[in-house]
Amino acid sequence: MNKTVTINISGIIFHIEEDAYEKLSKYLSTIKGYFSKTDGGSEIMSDIEARIAEMLQGKTSAVKQVVLMADVDSVMETMGKPEEFAGENVEENSNNNSQNNSQTESTEPIKKRLFRDPDHKAVGGVCSGIASYFDVDLVWIRLAMFLLIFFGGLSLWIYIILWIVIPEAKTTAEKLAMKGERIDINNISKTVKEEAEQLKNRAKKFGQEIKDNQGPRNFFDKLGDFIKEFLIVFAKFFGRVIGLVLLIFGVIFMFGLMSSVFGFSIAGSNVEFNDWINVIFLDRSHYTLGLLGSILFFGIPILMMIYGGIKLLFKIHYSNRWLNISAGLVWLAGFMIVLYVGIKTGIDFNENGKVKEEIQLQSKKDTLYFKLNSGKDLMADLNLTDDDDDEIKNKKRHRRSDFVIANNGHAKYVVGRVTLNIVPSTTDNFELYVVKKAKGEDKRSAVDRAKNIQYKINQLDSLILLDEFFIVPHPEKFRIQEVQILVKVPKGKVIYLDKNLEYVINDVENVTNTYDGDMAGRRWKMTAEGLRCIDCKGLDMDDDDDKGLPPPPPPPNGPINVDTKDAKVSIDKNGIKINSKEADVNIDKTGVHINTKEEKK
Amino acid sequence: MTNSENTKAQMRKGVLELCILSILSQGDAYPTEIIDKLKETKLVVVEGTLYPLLTRLKNTGLLTYRWEESTSGPPRKYYKLTEIGEQFLKEVQQSWFEMVDMVNKTIQK
Repeated sequence: MNKTVTINISGIIFHIEEDAYEKLSKYLSTIKGYFSKTDGGSEIMSDIEARIAEMLQGKTSAVKQVVLMADVDSVMETMGKPEEFAGENVEENSNNNSQNNSQTESTEPIKKRLFRDPDHKAVGGVCSGIASYFDVDLVWIRLAMFLLIFFGGLSLWIYIILWIVIPEAKTTAEKLAMKGERIDINNISKTVKEEAEQLKNRAKKFGQEIKDNQGPRNFFDKLGDFIKEFLIVFAKFFGRVIGLVLLIFGVIFMFGLMSSVFGFSIAGSNVEFNDWINVIFLDRSHYTLGLLGSILFFGIPILMMIYGGIKLLFKIHYSNRWLNISAGLVWLAGFMIVLYVGIKTGIDFNENGKVKEEIQLQSKKDTLYFKLNSGKDLMADLNLTDDDDDEIKNKKRHRRSDFVIANNGHAKYVVGRVTLNIVPSTTDNFELYVVKKAKGEDKRSAVDRAKNIQYKINQLDSLILLDEFFIVPHPEKFRIQEVQILVKVPKGKVIYLDKNLEYVINDVENVTNTYDGDMAGRRWKMTAEGLRCIDCKGLDMDDDDDKGLPPPPPPPNGPINVDTKDAKVSIDKNGIKINSKEADVNIDKTGVHINTKEEKK
Repeated sequence: MTNSENTKAQMRKGVLELCILSILSQGDAYPTEIIDKLKETKLVVVEGTLYPLLTRLKNTGLLTYRWEESTSGPPRKYYKLTEIGEQFLKEVQQSWFEMVDMVNKTIQK
């Protein structure tokens, strides 16, 4: 048993089943929507209704009085879908306009949509489609696209994405939609307003329905409907916004990726960069593979972002399953490649190796002088230029990146800067260590690698000359090798740090919390609390100004001459001579002579 | 496949106007009659196409119509060619034949 509704079409009364009625009524209102703004729309509408009435009449009889779903379906099939003949209407409408210029423009009922234009295509019809969408001359779009492809570097991808994402205008209706209503700011804001209005109306209608509602079950049904509709409208409203955001970010990321890939390929022709590839990756193919993998790994999501953004922005409801799946697979492949290369390379950085070598000190004195072997010889030896040196110095405190590639004509080396650390000694003597560190696949290879680091220290009595650089010999890989000079200073003894150690001193603790760089050029005494500066008096610790510093002590070799207002001291091959206001002391081959002024009186 | 369908649809659309006028020149008719004749020639795929076209022809003054009561249904709208319409049809027919000749010559080469 089915409920029927009585309707009147074109003055004829029909009994129609409820569901068939719903369908027919929707169909008619759709057609009405298409023709509502057309010249003579109501006339067309009544003609169509008359024809439908006639057809339905043919399907009913004295025996079969009720119009069924099948009847409505057959009528709809004969009459055609509104969009099939709406295209006709618009075209005629525009013909009409050209024939009859006095007629003012009628609003076209079709909303403009983005399609590829197969009729004016050069490659995929993307440019021509965009040109019709934005109502811009095709030439400009093509020119822009051309310039971007050849000078922008990225839009070839964009073009391909657009090609995939934008459907081709195949049917007449689509072609008309392609050229449909002009898109401008007014129009877009109108659409947005309409969508917002729709949202509001739904809410209002829902409120009304609640008021009139008949039962609790009904309420929940309606609430469900409402939420569903609300979400749809909401998605419509914000879909564009989200689409735009996705698109913008996608393009920005794309630029980023493109320029880094571009950068890498430029750098690939750079000798130094190539050297780095050789010392970091196990072999060259790992690098190429890694680069490829990263492009896929980062590129695919970016492409999909742009793809989705365009789809949302232009409301393209068309999804390519094959594309999604293959994008997913390619991404996965990229991920696997990155993972493989990453693990393969990373495994070689897995374990830390450390070798501590003690250096026997020649001097037993209470003060040790530390100075950097400026490394000019070494640099010359390795064809390092001052630029490289500057490069290291500019990085100053980012010690971990203080590495350059050097070569001495035969082979290439990784060269790094040493660091210096000073700690209290547990014994009564100075102790000097060279701590070498490296990373490796396992402990053993890491230690072996650390042992391979070349570094040398020269001693001239109490003067310790530190090489500025250490060398990782060829063909050893770069595995974050480090060299640290560790000095253990016993209580009460003093070390002097030469000015040129400024960038080498690393995180040395001292009583005054003096910054590493400022510790250079001073003497430090180990006290119970820690290192204390003994010639920094009167100096503002925060002031980096070097003026007023006492002169560094003379080197321990050679003659010493001190000349002040009140006294003179000279130590040379003849002996020691001290002349002061009150007393004179002379030590020479004739013996020790002491003369005091008082005695003279 | 779709492309040829498309072209055919475009061609049908172009000559539809001419056919309607020709049918009406043989005597007045109401839409259903016109549709039946057009269906024989397979020129109309969906009926909906016809109504906007008829209204437009009428509005440009090529056609007029009169109402006639029907025994079996709603009153029928009988369309009739006006004098302008007849004149128009002659011209269009003339150019149609010329065009067909030219087109045939072109495609038969």
